[in-house]
Amino acid sequence: MRKGNTLTERNVDDLLDKLRGLFADITARDIMIKSVVTLTKDRTMWQAKELMRICKISGVPITDGNSQLEGIVSIEDIIVALEGNHITDPIEKHMTRNLVTFSPEMNLETLIERFNRYRYGRFPVVDSDGKLVGIISKKDIIGAILDKFRLIYVHDNRRREILEQSVDWFDKSLISGDYVEKTSADFVYHIDYTDVDTAGVGSAKLKSYLKTLTDDDTLIRRVSIACYEAEVNVVIHSGSEGYIFAWYDEDVTRVRVEDYGRGIENVEQAMKEGFSTASDHVRELGFGAGMGLPNMRRYSDKMVVVSEAGKGVVLEMHFYRNGRK
Amino acid sequence: MKLNDLVEMCGIRVITSLPLDTDISNAYIGDLLSDVMGNAPANSIWLTVQSHMNILAVASIVGARAIVLCNGLHFEESTVRKAEETGIVLLESDFTTFDIAVKLVKCGLGG
Ligand SMILES: Nc1ncnc2c1ncn2[C@@H]1O[C@H](COP(=O)(O)OP(=O)(O)OP(=O)(O)O)[C@@H](O)[C@H]1O
Ligand SMILES: [Mg+2]
Repeated sequence: MRKGNTLTERNVDDLLDKLRGLFADITARDIMIKSVVTLTKDRTMWQAKELMRICKISGVPITDGNSQLEGIVSIEDIIVALEGNHITDPIEKHMTRNLVTFSPEMNLETLIERFNRYRYGRFPVVDSDGKLVGIISKKDIIGAILDKFRLIYVHDNRRREILEQSVDWFDKSLISGDYVEKTSADFVYHIDYTDVDTAGVGSAKLKSYLKTLTDDDTLIRRVSIACYEAEVNVVIHSGSEGYIFAWYDEDVTRVRVEDYGRGIENVEQAMKEGFSTASDHVRELGFGAGMGLPNMRRYSDKMVVVSEAGKGVVLEMHFYRNGRK
Repeated sequence: MKLNDLVEMCGIRVITSLPLDTDISNAYIGDLLSDVMGNAPANSIWLTVQSHMNILAVASIVGARAIVLCNGLHFEESTVRKAEETGIVLLESDFTTFDIAVKLVKCGLGG
């Protein structure tokens, strides 16, 4: 629907670069499963098979008493043992010893490259002392990527496009790209930034309104917490009036909070826990922990922030009926 | 636990003229509003040193039923009036936040 949206090769390269940037700081340590089920090599292949069946895993790392990684037993090893009729042998005789492992510091790009190169289903993560500290399967990698994608900063061309035509920015959904019919919103609240006392009142009203529509207390709580943080930010940071719009649907509740004020120069920095530019005056009132935007991310299922210095902030959040708890 | 019982057993002053028959199942301690917002459980009693009106929006959104202002501090008049409208019970105590927390636990809350 949007114009100028065809992907040229150049665009794709740009996009890939941006994605790489977005994922650059993810390491094996962030992705790995830390509670690894292990066996010692004096156990039998049969026991390994049973453990894999019960825990629904496709490989068991073999460690000594000090968590030193010695090998791995995979489904393939089990099949070979069954075929060769030595399933009752100790693991020591049949485990794979020649292991490809990850270090906790490896970045996502390297991890994906290793997965492609070696084609194993899972890799043990081993620290510099040879101690097993975790395990990573492809599923875990996809999980980490999806988690990161929940938070999309529109830093690509679309964002520039949106910023240049400020009309569009305030008229389009940041998440779906469609025009938003603000007049069709189920809930509208005008944020008065001149009165710190009333900061949060709009979100409390939204909470009461949602209560008339659903019994899902978790959803109501998530929506009103995230909305509160956005509302308060307009009051204490923007220096401008603002609006809360909300649309309720059985499957998804959408909230959009916008202001026309000071804006955020560096959205990525503002998203960091603990980052705050709050004045001493508002800090005395209990604001300024730098937890507002992180709370919004935590309680919403999808969140997009578009802002630039001097151009206000538009923030959109989606909350699914069966979303995060 | 009934708020009524907690207030009585812990010797906390009641500031608002609101009913005290609410059920309290948890407590949270915090002075940074967005920390409380992110972490306080519902149906809780909130221990703080913040007395400004903004605590009321926080309490009603996270579902804190009562706020205890500790360390001998006092709520502003406007906060009390607003609390009565919002239905959030305001309480005061001369004890420190920690001491109140200990008293609450001794009364059987949490743990
Ligand atoms: N609507 C806005 N207009 C201008 N700047 C904003 C806006 N929202 C956020 N910011 C900037 O982003 C920073 C981080 O916001 P965040 O809500 O995470 O923390 P905070 O508001 O400073 O503290 P807290 O929310 O914990 O009380 C703010 O300090 C401010 O610099
Ligand atoms: Mg904030």
